[in-house]
This record gives sequence, C-alpha cells and structure tokens, in this order.
Amino acid sequence: MEGISFLEHFQLWLRAYLILSLFSFLYRDNRFYRLSEHIFAGLSAGYYVGLIWQTVIIQQLVNPMVDNGEWWLVFPGLLGVLMFTRLIPKWSWVSRVSLAFVIGNTAGIYLISSLHGLILPQMLSTMNAVNTDGSFSSILLALVVIIGVISTLVYFYFSKEHKGILGVTARVGIWFIMIAFGAHFGYTVMARVSLLIGRVQFLYYDWGASIRQIF
Amino acid sequence: MEFWRKIMNIDRRWVYLLIALSVTFPMIVVIKFPVEVTPVARQLYDAIDKLPDSSVVMLTFDYYPNAAAETEPMSIAALHHMFKKDMRVVTLSNIPLGGPTIAERITREIAAEYDKVYGVDYVNLGYKANYNAVMHGLANSIESIFPSDYTNTPLKDLPLMDSVKNYDDIGFIYVVADNATVDYWIQIVNAQYGVPIGSGVTAVVAPKMYSFVNSGQMTGLLGGMKGAAEYEKMVGEEGKAIRGMDAQSMAHLAIIFLVILGNIGFFATRKKEGKES
Amino acid sequence: MKKTVPVVVAFLAGFVMVISFFFNTEQIMNWLSVTFGMDSLHGKTMEGFVLQWVTIVSGFTLVLGVFSIVRVNARAVAKKSEGWFYKLLTVVSVFAMAIPAMLPVSKDTVGGKIVFGIFPDSWRALFGTGPTSIYDWLFTYLDQPMMETMFAMLAFFIASAAYRAFRARNAEATLLLLTAVIVMLWRVPMGEAFLRLFSDSLPNYIDLFIMNGFNVAVQRGIIIGAALGAASMSLRIMLGIERTYMGKG
Repeated sequence: MEGISFLEHFQLWLRAYLILSLFSFLYRDNRFYRLSEHIFAGLSAGYYVGLIWQTVIIQQLVNPMVDNGEWWLVFPGLLGVLMFTRLIPKWSWVSRVSLAFVIGNTAGIYLISSLHGLILPQMLSTMNAVNTDGSFSSILLALVVIIGVISTLVYFYFSKEHKGILGVTARVGIWFIMIAFGAHFGYTVMARVSLLIGRVQFLYYDWGASIRQIF
Repeated sequence: MEFWRKIMNIDRRWVYLLIALSVTFPMIVVIKFPVEVTPVARQLYDAIDKLPDSSVVMLTFDYYPNAAAETEPMSIAALHHMFKKDMRVVTLSNIPLGGPTIAERITREIAAEYDKVYGVDYVNLGYKANYNAVMHGLANSIESIFPSDYTNTPLKDLPLMDSVKNYDDIGFIYVVADNATVDYWIQIVNAQYGVPIGSGVTAVVAPKMYSFVNSGQMTGLLGGMKGAAEYEKMVGEEGKAIRGMDAQSMAHLAIIFLVILGNIGFFATRKKEGKES
Repeated sequence: MKKTVPVVVAFLAGFVMVISFFFNTEQIMNWLSVTFGMDSLHGKTMEGFVLQWVTIVSGFTLVLGVFSIVRVNARAVAKKSEGWFYKLLTVVSVFAMAIPAMLPVSKDTVGGKIVFGIFPDSWRALFGTGPTSIYDWLFTYLDQPMMETMFAMLAFFIASAAYRAFRARNAEATLLLLTAVIVMLWRVPMGEAFLRLFSDSLPNYIDLFIMNGFNVAVQRGIIIGAALGAASMSLRIMLGIERTYMGKG
C-alpha cells in the first residue's frame, strides 16, 4: 500500500476508530461504543430508504411509466403505498390487501418449490444411496445416510410418543443428530473466528500500513 | 480444588484476550501451512473451468456485509477465475443491506485488472425486493424484473444484455451467500429451470449445503474462509483467505484448549464436590 | 370484507404460481394483449407479470420498519428521555444516508431541474447511489466496517461460551463435543496436518463419513421435515386457514 493519499489515510483511521470503539465494549460498555452503535443503526436504516427509492420507485415505477408508457404500474405502486396504512391503527386493515398479495404469492411459490425442489430430490437421493460401487466404505456410507435420514425424521416426529420401535429409532436419531450438530458447531466456531480475522487483518495490514507511513 | 474454581470462574475478558492474541500472533509470525483442497471445492472449480470461455455466468452477492470476511474472498476469487477465462459476468444481489453496493465495488475493482468493459463484459443488475419473486421472474425475462442496472442504465442500452434475456442464456449460477437464499436458488431455479448452481457460503450455512451437493442439486461448494482459501489456491490468486488460515488455525487450537480446560475443571470440581457432600 | 378480500387476494396471488408450474400461461397473456390492445403484455407469462408486481410491493415493506425507527427515536428526542442524544444521532444518520441517495443525478428530470437549480452541477456525482455518491461512501467507510465489527465480536462470545458451557455431561454431549473438536481440527491447515500424522487418509474419512455421511443424513432429515412444514403452511395460507399475517381485528 504505497503512497497513501490524505483521503485514504482519513478513511483508514475512521474505520479503525469505529472498529476499536465497538471492540471497546468487550472491556466494558462506554460512550464511544454507544455513539458508534447508534450511528450504525441509523445508517443501516437509511440505506434501505435510498436503495428502495432508486431500485423500486425510480427504476421500477417512475422510469417505466414515464419513458415506456407502462401506466398500469400505478396499481402495484398503490398497493405498496397502502402498506404504510399499517402505521395508522384506524386504517391498518387496508394494508392487509398488500400483505396478502405478497404473502399469498410467496406461499404459492413455496408450495411448489418445497415439494418439487426439496422433498422429492432429497428423498430420491436417499433412495439412490443404495446404488453403491460395492466397496465397504460406500456400503457403510449408504447405511449411515439411509439410517440417519429415517431416524432423524422419526426423532422430530412428535405426534406420537417415542415408545417401542419408535423410541428406539428416535434414540438412534439422537446419536446421529449429536454428531451432525457437533460438526455444525465446529463450522460455526470457524465462521465466527473468520469474521474476527477479517477485522484484525484490516487493523494489522491496512491501518498498519497507514501508521507505518505516517510514523 | 481452589485452583480449579478460580480457573472456572476466571473473568471472561482473559478469554477474550487469549482469542485476540491467537488471531493476531500468526500475522506477525507467519508459518503458512499448506491449504489442501476438498473434493466439493474442486467440484465447483471444475464446473466453472469446464464452461466454454465466452459463457455467461451469473454471480450473486447474496451476503450481508458482516459476513464479508468469509464471502468477499470467494467473490473475488470467482471473478478472477471468470475474467481469466474471458467469461461474461452478470451480477446481482438479493440482500437489501449492502449487497448491490458491494457487488458494484468488487466487480469494478477486479474487472479493471483485466481491462474488462462495463456493459460488454459484465453488468451489475443491482437489487430488487423479494428474492423468491426475483428468482422466478428472471426465468421469464430479466428485463421485467430489472428494467435497468444498478446505476440506472436501461438494460437495452447494455450490449451484454442483448444476448442475455433469461436463464436459458446463462451457463452457470455462482451463488455467494451467508443465508437461506441458496436454498431458494436450488429449489426454485435449479429444480424448476435446470440451471446448474454452485455456491460459496459462510461456514454456518455450509453443513446444510452438503445435502444439496450429495443429491446433485448443487455443483460444488465452498465452506467459510477455508473454502475461500481453497478456491484462491486453485485460481492462483493468493488473497485474504489464504493469509487468514494461520490465524484460523491458532484460534481453533485456542478454543479447543479452552474447551478441554473447561471440561477438566468441570470434572475436577464436580468430583471434589461429590466427595465433600 | 376486511378479512375476505385479503384471503381472496392471497389465494389468487398464490394460485397463479401453482398453475404456472403445470401450464404455459404465455398464451393467456397473448390473448389478453390482443383483446385489450396492450402490446407490452405480449410474450410475457402470467406469473412473470404478477412477479413484477410482487417485487414492487415488497420493496415498500422494507421501508416500513424505517418509519417506525424514525418515529420511535424522534419521540424520545422530543421528550428528552434518557439517552436522547444517541437517539438523535440515529435519526440524523438515517437522513444523512437517505436524502443524498434520493436526490436526482440527472438534470433532465423535473426533480433534477429543481435540485440543480439549487446545487452546483459538479455535485451531481455525490447524489444517488452510484460509486462516487455520499450514500456509497457512508456505507463503505462507516456502515460496513461497523457491521463487520459487530459480528466479529461473536468470536469472543463463542469462545467464552465454549469455555463456560460446553461440557461433556453425558454420552450425547461427549459425542457432540468430540465431533466438534475433530471438525475444528480438520477445517484448518494446521489441524489437518496434525490429523495426517495419524493417517494420511484421516481427513478424507472425516470428510466422507462425518460431513457426507452423518451430517448429510441429519441435514436431509431436517430439510425434508421443514419443507413438509413449509408446504403445509403455504397451503393453509392460500386456503385462508392461516390468517395470522393479517394482524388483529
């Protein structure tokens, strides 16, 4: 990072200040942390406004209506505006139509996609697990997958008491779940640590370069 | 006994300090253990590599900025790979907080290294609300959902989009995500429209994605910063992910040490308490 | 009426997506295009038309929350309640981000003529959401670093939680703990090198049996179970049995 300009120095130090002020919470709560936290909340909320103004209002409504004569877009625009009646208790029932439109559409998508895109392919893949190449490890793997899927589904079936054969299968399911969740925990630790590494990399390499150049 | 009680009740800030040191120390003393490539990462790399050079690939920036440490190296390595192969790239984001801004910045940065021209070699569509509707809508017509790109240029003014009208014109979808949007790409786009999909996801999401790779619904997977490092290695562009692996190793060892110490203390104090009672 | 109309709308909006899976709706749209003289409907599918509307309406839901944030914080500032200064910063930050983004970048529009009558033309690059805008700068140099840092703190919390709470109290917990340790070692180069000391194929077996075996099996079971739940909930919403999204009254 050679020849850092004044603006770049400022941007690096600004980011370093924000990072360190938020990390200061780890020692104890303080005003620097609270200052940064509240600015962060406001900026994030403001981001949504700017984005929706440009991507929805301008690009999807104003420009097509003005430039291409697509006047019927005033109807979804109106439906969107009616969403704000939710903030007025007396008129909040009006927003139900807009919400129903979005939620109903999403429900229709999910009805097909969950069956066609999740349940059937995953069940098919489980059934196809029996097609092994005959080696010991592939047969063992197939057994693990088939028994694991069935026992996990049985474990999460709470409509009947886990007794008898159901109870034994659910018990097997717990063992499988513990192993899978252990793996998930290992991955989760990795994820959280990676986020910290990102911040430390910035402080050490990028901010560090600025410090080295200045001093 | 008293020793173990003190250890068990140590101020949590000492734990924080240990983690901070374990992450910082490897940046000062660089060891660089070799990064081994896993089969699922290799599968994703090969899927992109096998595409004809002038293919159109869709790269999605479906991650929030807080996950950037894991996912940004994946996006960068993917762009290097695609531009090296002279692929044409269409980017978009389904994340309202920061996604399109990050997509714009990173794509332009990497494209400039390869002298790629915006509108001809790559386009950033930006963001539109409701990712389920977006994913379905792109199948019929990209222009019906994205009448213009992120910077408000009408799609008809972008030469690349003359030949990219819907999923039929896209050879592969490379999803970089930190949330459930990957699930919907799979169950909507891959299942109903047959577009091959590969993904780079954060380590929290990665375990679930193995099911999709196993069922053939997903072609390849990168999991977390390690996955990003594997892809950087395959593409030959060392970046933040490879450089972060030493710190990752030390931090994991520190946490394993803490878990073991905590359990030794637990059993030591429990045993003593049992005897005393 | 207040409840019936939304239920009917929800059903129709969902039904379009369901029938589009089984039938090609382009012919219906072509017929409508010819009948009503609307050329832009030609070549579109019914679901494509509806989805365009859905993306527009959904955009407004994102801004709904922002109104609430501004209203709540503005009231606290007006009443000078505890921490009002911080709440004022929040409100100022919302407007600092939103207003420059909403200003036009082109002089050709009505809004542009008004705005660039007040501000110099050279300020054009600062408005809107483009790469040189105030909006972009505030996001890249303030919002994003803070967001990344907030989540980076989780590393400390997870380490502290692992130290204090991750106990091998029984056989199941021990199994979970052991698997977590093995995977944590496998996922880092140093740990993988350590595992290879025992056997060169050990990392491959971890990948094969833990990740592609036990993990896939359990995740698959959860995916199937959750998908069944999602499908049944979707059906309930479309049929009007589930109405909690409508709120009270």
